[in-house]
Amino acid sequence: METFAFYFLAISITILFTITVWSKNILNAMTALAAGMILISGLFFILRADFLGVVQLIVYVGAVMALYAFGMMFFDATGTVKEKNRPNFTVLLLGVLTAVLLVGIFTAPTLINGVPSFYPEMAGATNPQAVGLVLFTKYLVPFEVAAIMLLVAMIAGIILAGKKMDNSISRMSEEELKAQLEKDSK
Amino acid sequence: MDGYIVGTIIKAILVLAIISALAGFGTYIERKILAFMQRRLGPMHVGPYGLLQLAADGIKLFTKEDFIPSGANKFIFMLAPVITAATAFIALAAVPLLPEFNLFGIEVRPIISDLNIGILFVLGMMAAGLYGPLLAGMSQRNKWGLLGSARTAIQFLSYEVVTGLSLLAPIMIVGSLSLIDFNNYQSGGITHWLIWQQPLAFILFIIAGFAETNRTPFDLLEHEAEIVAGYATEYSGMRWGMFFIGEYANMITIGFLAALIFFGGFNSWGFIPGGLAIILKVSFFFFLMLWVRASWPHIRPDQLMWLCWKVLMPLAVINVTLTGLWMMI
Amino acid sequence: MSMEEFKDRNVGVQNYRMLDLEPNPETGMDKFKQVVKRSVKLELFTGLKVTFREMFNALFRGEMHTTKYPFEKLPISPRYRAIHEMKRLLESGHYRCIGCGLCEKICIANCIRMDTRYDENQRKEVSEYTINFGRCIFCGYCAEVCPELAIVHGGRYETASEQRASYSTFEDMLTPLDQLAQQSEYPGFGAVSADADEKIKKTPLAY
Repeated sequence: METFAFYFLAISITILFTITVWSKNILNAMTALAAGMILISGLFFILRADFLGVVQLIVYVGAVMALYAFGMMFFDATGTVKEKNRPNFTVLLLGVLTAVLLVGIFTAPTLINGVPSFYPEMAGATNPQAVGLVLFTKYLVPFEVAAIMLLVAMIAGIILAGKKMDNSISRMSEEELKAQLEKDSK
Repeated sequence: MDGYIVGTIIKAILVLAIISALAGFGTYIERKILAFMQRRLGPMHVGPYGLLQLAADGIKLFTKEDFIPSGANKFIFMLAPVITAATAFIALAAVPLLPEFNLFGIEVRPIISDLNIGILFVLGMMAAGLYGPLLAGMSQRNKWGLLGSARTAIQFLSYEVVTGLSLLAPIMIVGSLSLIDFNNYQSGGITHWLIWQQPLAFILFIIAGFAETNRTPFDLLEHEAEIVAGYATEYSGMRWGMFFIGEYANMITIGFLAALIFFGGFNSWGFIPGGLAIILKVSFFFFLMLWVRASWPHIRPDQLMWLCWKVLMPLAVINVTLTGLWMMI
Repeated sequence: MSMEEFKDRNVGVQNYRMLDLEPNPETGMDKFKQVVKRSVKLELFTGLKVTFREMFNALFRGEMHTTKYPFEKLPISPRYRAIHEMKRLLESGHYRCIGCGLCEKICIANCIRMDTRYDENQRKEVSEYTINFGRCIFCGYCAEVCPELAIVHGGRYETASEQRASYSTFEDMLTPLDQLAQQSEYPGFGAVSADADEKIKKTPLAY
């Protein structure tokens, strides 16, 4: 049952992400991306990592939704996008090599040793509790570093976006607008 | 194991049938209540007191021409209503609907899947449900539809943070993400309800819930007065009906969540048995949504963003901080 | 009169009530104060209260506003000008119409046609009388001009028909003989006013 579910999910995810890469229609590409991300959460559910699965679901639903917003602004959602880049075989080769290397690096230890469990399943602890315990003991420093990184990114984002937030073009008078335009053109 | 699977399938079919029937019945209730609040009679002529209006609407929806506009992205256009309806029902999978009871000597737990992360699952699924309007609006090649889906994105990015943060404080108090644990935590009667400990969280949650179900003060996606019918402009027949069923199922889900998290769930309430108590509570929340629709005007998308990010989110963060401090002391 | 005066007619100055709206908040602090004030005063709940009160009144105090139209009808004004009726004399039951033809003459839509002839007693009798309701504009001149209060406007206002020209004959409009007792005097257009007796003066003999 679980094997069947795994192969079903794995094949679907591969197909969906292939569509994401190859499709020239922005709507198809993004929908395939969203569906693939949601199906990945299915993989977590199979592994009994319910919490991670739901987090994957919530985070990527929101993230891809923001991506849709950008897609809506930049492209015609029902038409096809004209792509300029020609197939570049060097890039293709390097990409495939990187993928193979990554898969090799990550699977080699499991192939040799089996899957070692550093932290045996805690009896009686529910899934979020187990995640929390590991996150706030063994991996506290990386967790905090990640938090600081996200904070930095957030502040940077706010500063980048909020530079000219004080003056709104729609509320300017005609003269102010002209002055602003002249200033910008210089 | 086999019995478990068969039981789950039976439960899933039952929930699907009952909730979609209730969702259809919800349209009748909505029309009646709105009519009464405007001193009208509402549907009266199909069946006694217009009760069969539901069947008439169903026949109309099924027999209507189902067209797909030329230039639309056909596959996604057909997919979008299914997403809305399906996610609404999937979200219900983790919601305990009634207390446990015995049927022919078998103990029945009226929850399809008791996930230990129930709340997050329900919220995540309801969030995924907004892909329905989004894809519908973008795929139909209609400017009103595009505006509707742009508003979907805005609405989603506004309320999602508030929903999560407002529920964080009750989750901290109960110490679990399972809705059944929430219910058991409040089993001590009316004084043990979480609403008394977390009134602010309840207000924030119900506001975010209104935004989540696209109910009136935040009915931006399908704002008839501004953008024709928003994401549903090009839809007709049963595809359009599926959007509606999804919306009403979501209303019922939000009602169940509010009742389970803040109002004592399906614990018996004085002399009222638990099963009836939760139905009464959910009915009240359903009525509240209609009541608000009859009373309050819509707000603009920018006002929704302002409300969610500048008012509700700081309040939610303050609430979480205070709850944390209170729990430590 | 110039055009400006014509346009500025001060319509409704006496009926409109200005709400004492607060000025729009300018600074952030003012906006914040406004939000707090509105939230604490629970202004939104006033709206909820109003709708609930209306529902309660409609359901339990019989203040439902709906008229189920084909089954119930609202009363209409006595001066309403609907489908015509022909009245009879109460004593003899003979129709009141004397065949003077004034209604035919005055009808601005040209919808009334009548023919008269002398009967065996050398009295004028109406041989044919039709009103084309496809043309009739229900102006009410016929009822106003009728010296005998014979043609009047009735209260039947559902005038839809399958044909553009729908004729009504004299017999259609006459009060049926068996309902003569129920025939009421028409109070509306062209009728004498209720206090006509007090208003009337004796005609001097010189005339």
